[in-house]
Amino acid sequence: MFDASTFGKTVDILHKGLDVDVLRRQVISDNIANADVPNFKRSDLNFESSLKKALDSEQEEPVLAMATDDPRHIASFAPSDYRTVQPRRVLDYLTTAKNNGNNVDAEQEMMNSLTNQLAYTLEAQAINYEYNQVNLVLRG
Amino acid sequence: MMGLFTSIQIAASGLTAERLRSDVISDNIANASTTRTPEGGPFQRSRVILRPINGSPYFRLPFQPEGFDKGAGLGVKVSSIEKDSAPPRLVYDPTHPDAIKTGPKAGYVEMPNVNIVTEMVDLIAASRAYEANSTMADGSKSMFMKALEIGR
Repeated sequence: MFDASTFGKTVDILHKGLDVDVLRRQVISDNIANADVPNFKRSDLNFESSLKKALDSEQEEPVLAMATDDPRHIASFAPSDYRTVQPRRVLDYLTTAKNNGNNVDAEQEMMNSLTNQLAYTLEAQAINYEYNQVNLVLRG
Repeated sequence: MMGLFTSIQIAASGLTAERLRSDVISDNIANASTTRTPEGGPFQRSRVILRPINGSPYFRLPFQPEGFDKGAGLGVKVSSIEKDSAPPRLVYDPTHPDAIKTGPKAGYVEMPNVNIVTEMVDLIAASRAYEANSTMADGSKSMFMKALEIGR
């Protein structure tokens, strides 16, 4: 019912964002918990840039579109579906910040956790707003 | 494993580890001048060896197949408490009951290899790390409280 409307898409994206922020919090917690472990390397989560790329690709016009007049033809350009975007955990294995091979910067991680917390709150509020709009209509 | 409360559990593992670290540091400071131990010789300072819980190997290849990826790490754990092998500190005190009687080191007392300054610095590091972990748990809590407000 909501599939084609903005409501469904907005809630879908926000839902995904909440999920990813929980996962990112797990990664940041792990980095902070291991801040003193020798040779531990911090991890990070990539998601937002891939999501933006997928969302942008929906509006994108291919420069040289090739005609496909048979279902078996492979299109040269296909917009990527934002629903297929998955968060990707990456290990920051190249840097070293301390003598013991550990590269966790406690201040940086605390700031990341703060950003993460605010982003989560923002998404929760936005999703709440969406539902309140529907509620408004239902109440008449 | 991915759950809402995993981040709180990870922070809790950090709290446990840092608490144990500060316990061990307290023990080292309390025994800073213990010259007699059941094992013989002066007290040796203990060190806490920490290691990550699963999922976070020390080093992973950048292009590893996803099947090998155990997912995000699940915190920290104490793998062992080991003795520091640094030599004892020698203090000249011939009348001390534990003074060495013969040999080239006669008259010297073997004092523990505990350096109070090092221990205090370690204690500050442990207490700051404890704070950081508790801040994480606190932040997670307020995040999930916000999630409970959805639809209200």
